[in-house]
Amino acid sequence: MRPFTLNYAFPRGLSNAVTPYHFDPARQLNVLPDGRPAVSDPDLLLAVGTTTSTAGSATHFDD
Amino acid sequence: MTVLILTSEEDVTADLVVARLHGTGTPVLRLDPADLPGKAVLSADYAHGDFDGHLSVNGHVLSMGGLRSIWVRRPGEPAAHAADPSPWLTAETRQALYGMLHSAAARWMNHPRNADQARLKPWQLRVAHLSGFAVPPTVFTTAPRLAREFVEEYRDVVVKSASGPPPGDPALTLPTTLIGPDTDFSAVAAGPALLQKYVPKRADIRLTCVGSRLFAARKTAGPDQVDGRFGETGHAWEPVPVPERIGKAVHEYVTLAGLAYAAFDFAEDWDGIWWFLECNQGGQFGFVELETGQPIAAEVALWLAQHRADRRASDRRG
Repeated sequence: MRPFTLNYAFPRGLSNAVTPYHFDPARQLNVLPDGRPAVSDPDLLLAVGTTTSTAGSATHFDD
Repeated sequence: MTVLILTSEEDVTADLVVARLHGTGTPVLRLDPADLPGKAVLSADYAHGDFDGHLSVNGHVLSMGGLRSIWVRRPGEPAAHAADPSPWLTAETRQALYGMLHSAAARWMNHPRNADQARLKPWQLRVAHLSGFAVPPTVFTTAPRLAREFVEEYRDVVVKSASGPPPGDPALTLPTTLIGPDTDFSAVAAGPALLQKYVPKRADIRLTCVGSRLFAARKTAGPDQVDGRFGETGHAWEPVPVPERIGKAVHEYVTLAGLAYAAFDFAEDWDGIWWFLECNQGGQFGFVELETGQPIAAEVALWLAQHRADRRASDRRG
C-alpha cells in the first residue's frame, strides 16, 4: 500500500534552466562569463531561483 | 585561521558568504565531501599522543591546527563523486573526514550531532512548546482511526512530510496540503502521517537566526494559499521587526537545540499571532537576503570568522 502522505506528491517537473555561471576553483565561488562573481548580480540569482527555499540538493531536505 | 565550508560547487548561497570572507581577508577552504577521495585529498595523523590533519582541494590547503570554524552548508555525500562509489566507500570516507574534523578545535555551524537531532520534526514541536511558541495541534500516527479522529476534531487539517519529498526519478514534490474529513485514511497504516491543524494565515514569516542575531521577513499569503513555498502571490518578502516574545522564544529554542544557525517558518494568523511550523537547521537564506537586503550572509561570515568562543549560552539577546 502506498503511504498516505505520498498520495499528495506529484512530479516536480524538469527544469530547463541553465545557470549562467560556473564554479571558479581558484576563487571558490561561481562566476559569470565576464568573470564577475555571480552574487554581484542579485536580479539574476532571483531569476534562476537557485537560492529559493525549495532549491536544496537531492541530498538535503533543509528548506 | 581558516573557515571551512562544506558544500557543493553549485551552491550560490554559500557564494554570498565566501565573497564576504574574501572581502575581509579571511582564509577559506570550500570543499564538497562528495569530491573526497579524488579531487580533494585528506590526511590525518594520530601519533605520539598528538593529532594533526590536512585537507586540500583545487590547490587550497587547510591544516587542522589553523581551522577556525566549520560551516556545514550543503555538503554532498562523502565519496559520491568517486570513480567507484559505493555505500562502503561513503562510510569509510565519512569516518575519515568527519572523524578528523571532530578531532579539531573548531566552532561548528551547526554541529552535526545537534543538526541531526534538530532535523527531527516531532522533536522540533516539543522544543517549540518548551521555548514558548504557539504550536498548532499536530499528530504523527500510523493508525488510520486516530488520523480520522484528529481530522474530525480539528476539521481543517494539513498533511505534510517530515523528511521532505522522496528521492528518486522522476523527482517528486510534496507540498503541504489541506485535507478534509472525507479523506480515506486507510493508507496511514502504510507509513507515518504528519497531520496538523491548519492555521488560516495572512502571511508567511521566515525568521533567520545567526548566532544571537535575528532577521525576520514577511510575505503576504495569497488567498487560500496553504504552502508558502508554492504558488505565485504577487507579494515579495519584506523585513519586519521581531516581536519581543518571539525573540525570547527563538533564543530559548536555539539554546536548547544547540544551534548556531536556524531558519524558522511561522504562519501569521489574522490576529497577528506567529504560529511555529518548523525550524530548518540548514535552511536557505539567499532568497530572503536578495529580496529584503537583510545582511544575513555578512552575519554568517562574521560568526564564522570570529575568534571568540560561542556565546550563545550566555548571550541571550542579539
